[in-house]
Parts: sequence; C-alpha cells; structure tokens
Amino acid sequence: MDFATRLLVFFGCWTILAGWDPSSWVIGLPAVLFASWVYGRLAQDSARPGIRPMLAFLPFFLRESFRGGADVARRILRPRMRIAPGFQTYRMRLSQPAARVLFLDCVSLLPGSLSADRHQDVIQVHLLDASLDVTPELADLERRVAAIFDERLEPDAHV
Amino acid sequence: MSLVLTLLSVVSILLGAFFFLVGTLGLIRLPDLFSRLHALTKTDNLGLGLVILGLLPWVPDLFHALKLVLIWLLVLLAGATGSHLIAKRALRGDGEDLTP
Repeated sequence: MDFATRLLVFFGCWTILAGWDPSSWVIGLPAVLFASWVYGRLAQDSARPGIRPMLAFLPFFLRESFRGGADVARRILRPRMRIAPGFQTYRMRLSQPAARVLFLDCVSLLPGSLSADRHQDVIQVHLLDASLDVTPELADLERRVAAIFDERLEPDAHV
Repeated sequence: MSLVLTLLSVVSILLGAFFFLVGTLGLIRLPDLFSRLHALTKTDNLGLGLVILGLLPWVPDLFHALKLVLIWLLVLLAGATGSHLIAKRALRGDGEDLTP
C-alpha cells in the first residue's frame, strides 16, 4: 500500500471512531500520521489486501470464530475438562510480513489453536488437544490468507 | 422496532455476556498460562461479537454501525496479537518469573 492509501484508511478509521469533532484531531492527526508511517515500516513491501478476497474470507472467519468460542466454552464447562494441552510446529509458506501477522492472529482465533512463537518460517502452535494433527487446518487457513494478499504458495506444506 | 428483532437482540447480548463469563471461568479453571490464553482470546472474540451483533439493530445510522464493527475488529487484533506476544515471552522464558 502506498502512503496516500494508508493515510486515507487510517483517516477513515479515526473519523469512524472519534466522529467529526475538530478538537479530536489534536490527538487524531498525529495518531493517523504515526500509524501510516509505522504500517509502512512493518509491512514493508506487502501487497495491498484485496477487497474481494477479504469479503470471501469473512464468512469463513465468522464461522471459525463461532466454532472457536463454542469449542473452548464446551471444554471449560465440562465437570472434568477435556483438554490435553501441547505444542506442534508448522512451517509457514507466507512471506509477506502483513500476511504473516494476519495468519498468526487468525491461528489464535481458530478452534483449539494458539500461535505461541515464531522463528523465521517456523511457528509454534499451542493446542488445547495436542493429540490431533492440525497441519491440514493451518494449511487451509494459510491458503485463504494468501489469497487476500495475492500471494502464491509453494505446493507442499507440512514440517 | 419489531418484537422479533428486539428478542433476537436481547438473546444475542445475553449469549455474548455468557461467553465472557465462560472465559473468566476458564481463566480460573484451566491449568496453565497457554490454555488460559485460549479461553481469553476466543471467548472475548465471540462474546464481544455477539454483544455488538445484538446492539446493531439499535444504532441510529450506518456510521454508528461501522463504529461498533470497527471496535470489534480492533479488539480482535489487539487480543490475538497480545496473546501471541504473551505466549512468546512465556515460552522463551525471558520475561518475569512465571512460576507460582
């Protein structure tokens, strides 16, 4: 995303949150400028997320959010909690920084998984039930995130 | 406001509050830091989402609806990123002393 687009997006966010009151811009203007600059630094040359793939991602995201919340609630509410916590590793194929952040955050919202650490391409995922292999689910999520940033993944997943 | 919409809204908000309660219960019941982060991120996401969904029929205009949805997105982003950072610090053991 170029600087002008980022300014526009963050300007829009601030207006939605704080309204049109001119005095709010005492805080808003520096915040918008700073956010636009930091986004550029952190996202580097990440592609601009596409509107249409984002809309396609939305139903999946809402469904998984619901499943994730319901799943953890079911586990907690049982008299004897049904958990077997543990870690699994997964090798990310995404290379763009912004895509990676979205992927890591979404992993934490999927049922039973939490992104816990990252060393370059390899992420550590904490699972409430580590007896199941979550690689296929993570690969599926990764494909969907890649579509948003118009990124091509190498065909083979897995560690 | 039709009765059906009011009813749906109330059910959604109550369900959202329920998930917040379950998340807190999870914080108490679950055995370790990582499992607790699971409970917090996921139930907060769903709980706040349902509360906001329940509030949407009551907004005066589209602007306020956008504001509510944006608040949900920002909380999601902050929650998921925050829990990742907490987990990372705990795993690498370079934070504060975590043993009870």
